[in-house]
Amino acid sequence: MNEAILVPIEMAATWRYASGAAMERFCDGLRERRIEALRCGVCRRSYLPPRPICGNCHAPLSEWVSVADEGRLEAWTVLQVPMLDARTGSIREAPYGMGLIRLDGADTTINHYLAESDPARLAIGLRVRAVWRPEPRGAMDDIVHFEVLR
Amino acid sequence: MRHVAIIGTGQTDYASNRSDASQPELVREAAKAAIADAGLRPQQIDAVLISNMELFEGRALPELWLGEAAFAAGKPCLKVATGGTSGTSACISGFHQVASGLFDVVLVVGLEKHSEGQTQTGMALTDPFWDRAVAAGALGNFALSISQYMAERGVTERQAAMVAVKARRNAARNPHAHLKMPALTVDEVLASRPLAHPIRLLDMCPQSDGACAIVIAAEKPARRLCPRPAWVKASATRHEQPYIGDIDRRLVTMRTLRDAARGVYERAGIRDPLHDFDVAEIYEPVSYAELAWYEALGFCREGEAGRLIEDGVTAMDGELPVNPSGGVLSSNPVGASGVIRVAEAALQIHGRGGERQVEGVRTALVTGYGVYAWADVVVLGAQP
Repeated sequence: MNEAILVPIEMAATWRYASGAAMERFCDGLRERRIEALRCGVCRRSYLPPRPICGNCHAPLSEWVSVADEGRLEAWTVLQVPMLDARTGSIREAPYGMGLIRLDGADTTINHYLAESDPARLAIGLRVRAVWRPEPRGAMDDIVHFEVLR
Repeated sequence: MRHVAIIGTGQTDYASNRSDASQPELVREAAKAAIADAGLRPQQIDAVLISNMELFEGRALPELWLGEAAFAAGKPCLKVATGGTSGTSACISGFHQVASGLFDVVLVVGLEKHSEGQTQTGMALTDPFWDRAVAAGALGNFALSISQYMAERGVTERQAAMVAVKARRNAARNPHAHLKMPALTVDEVLASRPLAHPIRLLDMCPQSDGACAIVIAAEKPARRLCPRPAWVKASATRHEQPYIGDIDRRLVTMRTLRDAARGVYERAGIRDPLHDFDVAEIYEPVSYAELAWYEALGFCREGEAGRLIEDGVTAMDGELPVNPSGGVLSSNPVGASGVIRVAEAALQIHGRGGERQVEGVRTALVTGYGVYAWADVVVLGAQP
């Protein structure tokens, strides 16, 4: 049998996505280091990311609540292999910590990077605080990572 | 609703790189084998369902490129793409098409060819405003959920490694499997490369190339064509809210899998899953997930999954063999993986499992699992 012909394809392309009103307000807040969640009037759950409708109650959401940039570490891991950073397309070198963080005032958790990457120094229940980039641009990666408060 | 059965299965061999065959060739190989296994000719297929995660291979319209190879030209053809549940959801769609009377004979083909694509990129192309900035892929997100599961249930790394060993040893008896490791030990799993604490290389599923197909038939053709049809007793699919942070302790709670299983068990008359099922083919992309599924599927009480694997309850010679095929941990062409679960469970009822056959299977459980928490559950039986 002949050698298989493998066709290599490379592509550089740009996409543009509309945020919707709730995410627009959230991103505007990030510019001023302000985090806001939307609370469901039926189940009282406050959602990050904010969204127009509660998926469980199907109720429209309009009650904005302030959320701290501090919270509780609800889950953690340390990545030991390099992973793709989907926003930049570049590779994030290992090791690095990741967590699910419940910010004070929110009921959902957010996944984000941790400054700590030693498994022996990470545990569920730790208090963590956002470290912001010097000049926020209105996106989730305005928070560089979360540092553990000890 | 009409009775529905699986009357044929076809699988390619799974491997990390099948550059010996194009994507359509893999699809044709599996489709042809399933149709022949059912004692049919391609023109007797009424409709075709294709399961594939098109962004993994980075090409649009897989149903166009692959459809002809699945004998779909001139026939109704649909594509299903729901992450890991793609394959089971495509099969369930086929069950519905036949049960409703819409079609008598439906072919389902699942394909993935990870070697030709960028799976990590495909996984990362989710919500551009939220997930992408901090994407950790399936690996990191599993590791996060596992930290919660271990903390709450006391499951150990050694117990998870036992799941990984069981899968690869079972795979050694499956001629199609990708990772066949008949002599793998728990210590070797624990010594394998760390990927994302506490997940190690051998805790994780591989990325495989391959295709799998099944033929679904209504009662009349099923009884005429198949000596032991695998009857669909009940099936269900469940989706979740969009973000991992929406789901409270997902491996512990797993409301989608619990809800789907509860409804399906009730309709199929399953009261004690561990005793009532003779075999299970469940979708376990990581060793720890299998332990969590034992609890969500009611094989044991909460917190007892570690004991189940330690006692060999789910081993080939145990009370309920789980994944005689080697499971997703041994072969994982994502779009095909759910179809493989259904095909392997059907094979067990057909009594044609070869070296991986479990004695006297009359009732079989199948699950699918996708993205953060989507779940599919199917019960197959030797009687309609």
